Amino acid sequence: MNEVSRNPRRALSRALSRIANADVSETLAQQNASTPATLSRIGITGAPGAGKSTLIARLAHLRKGVDRKIAVLAIDPTSPVSQGSILGDRIRMDSIADDPDIFIRSIPSRRAHDGLTDNTADLLNAMEGHGFDEVILESVGVGQAEYTIRTLVDTVVLVLLPESGDAIQAMKAGILEMADIYVVNKADLPGAELLESHIQQVAERQSRNGWTPPVICTTRSDPAGFALLDKAIRDHAHWRATHTDETAVRRARARYQAHGLIARRIDEILEDDDGGLLDLDPRGLFDALHAKLKPDMED
Amino acid sequence: MSLNGKRILIAKPGLDGHDVGAKIIALALRDAGADVIYTGLRRSPDYIARVAVDEDVDAVGLSILSGSHKELVAETVRCLEELDASDIHLFVGGTIPREDQDELREAGARAIFTAEMPLDDVVAAIDADLAS
Repeated sequence: MNEVSRNPRRALSRALSRIANADVSETLAQQNASTPATLSRIGITGAPGAGKSTLIARLAHLRKGVDRKIAVLAIDPTSPVSQGSILGDRIRMDSIADDPDIFIRSIPSRRAHDGLTDNTADLLNAMEGHGFDEVILESVGVGQAEYTIRTLVDTVVLVLLPESGDAIQAMKAGILEMADIYVVNKADLPGAELLESHIQQVAERQSRNGWTPPVICTTRSDPAGFALLDKAIRDHAHWRATHTDETAVRRARARYQAHGLIARRIDEILEDDDGGLLDLDPRGLFDALHAKLKPDMED
Repeated sequence: MSLNGKRILIAKPGLDGHDVGAKIIALALRDAGADVIYTGLRRSPDYIARVAVDEDVDAVGLSILSGSHKELVAETVRCLEELDASDIHLFVGGTIPREDQDELREAGARAIFTAEMPLDDVVAAIDADLAS
């Protein structure tokens, strides 16, 4: 099953499976330090049912072009009970499903609780070098605390629904402070104007170094909103080119990746253990885990 | 029994618009631990094969109630071959008359499931086939 396919799309698709399924040791063995990040990375996040997948379909269609290919990585939740998943984002991307210039891959969240999946950083890196210009990462439907996506993408788009208007006022911290662009989706629903004005205030507070996150209203029937979103993403990329500390971005991504690998290695150790480790006091458990981490990470 | 780590595409080729069965199977496979992708209604075999490749699935389950199962299975097998993906296992479910089943197996279907089969048996058969 591991031979390279004569169909390049299949070769990529298999490489993604290998990365997604890799345990910590395999992930470490597969690291390829020489891959520079050249793809622009757009992250789309928001609550369940906010319309992220449908919005991505509209956006991908606008952002692809002559010689411009788009990849979409769409993460759906893994059932904590069966470890299985229904990966349903693709159905909502119906309008672009037949487009050979757009690659869509559905990914289960697995163990991750941060709105992403195990090995997200590696999956994003794996999209380099396959002729894509941009990768759009769709998070699981999230609440306010899941903002890890901020670290891994260049532009974070937070998708909100009009009904969430009142909740937004109370929501002072978290993902709401992390977005580069806010979208009020389904803006033809009641409450949209109120939400827009709330978010406008939030956005003004986030203003820094000359970037004030724009608030964009989108509705299914009106293409103008999606065109504005496309433009806002371009504007952000333009702003980012001169206002981003690339070293800091690279370090933050390295930190996230190392943190994730160690956390998963600890899970692997505890799952292999018969329970004795977890009967230790916190200090004993820490020392035991610390001792067990090292040999495995050096093989 | 566990389908953990297995990726399965449930697909509706052809023109029939009934996907209750397909959705029930999708949920049963999810509950058995699989990652399940559903295409939605009325997909062409060519489309189904391309999604199967992009999603790197281990198996495709075609749900067919229209009576066109012979043509649709043959065409899906041909499309998978064209994409260098004939190692992806193909299952067929739906209203498939007994007298057509051998022909579908010869065409490349690994197993055929009909409405009267208990759900657990279907999942167990898929599990056994993918484990082999």
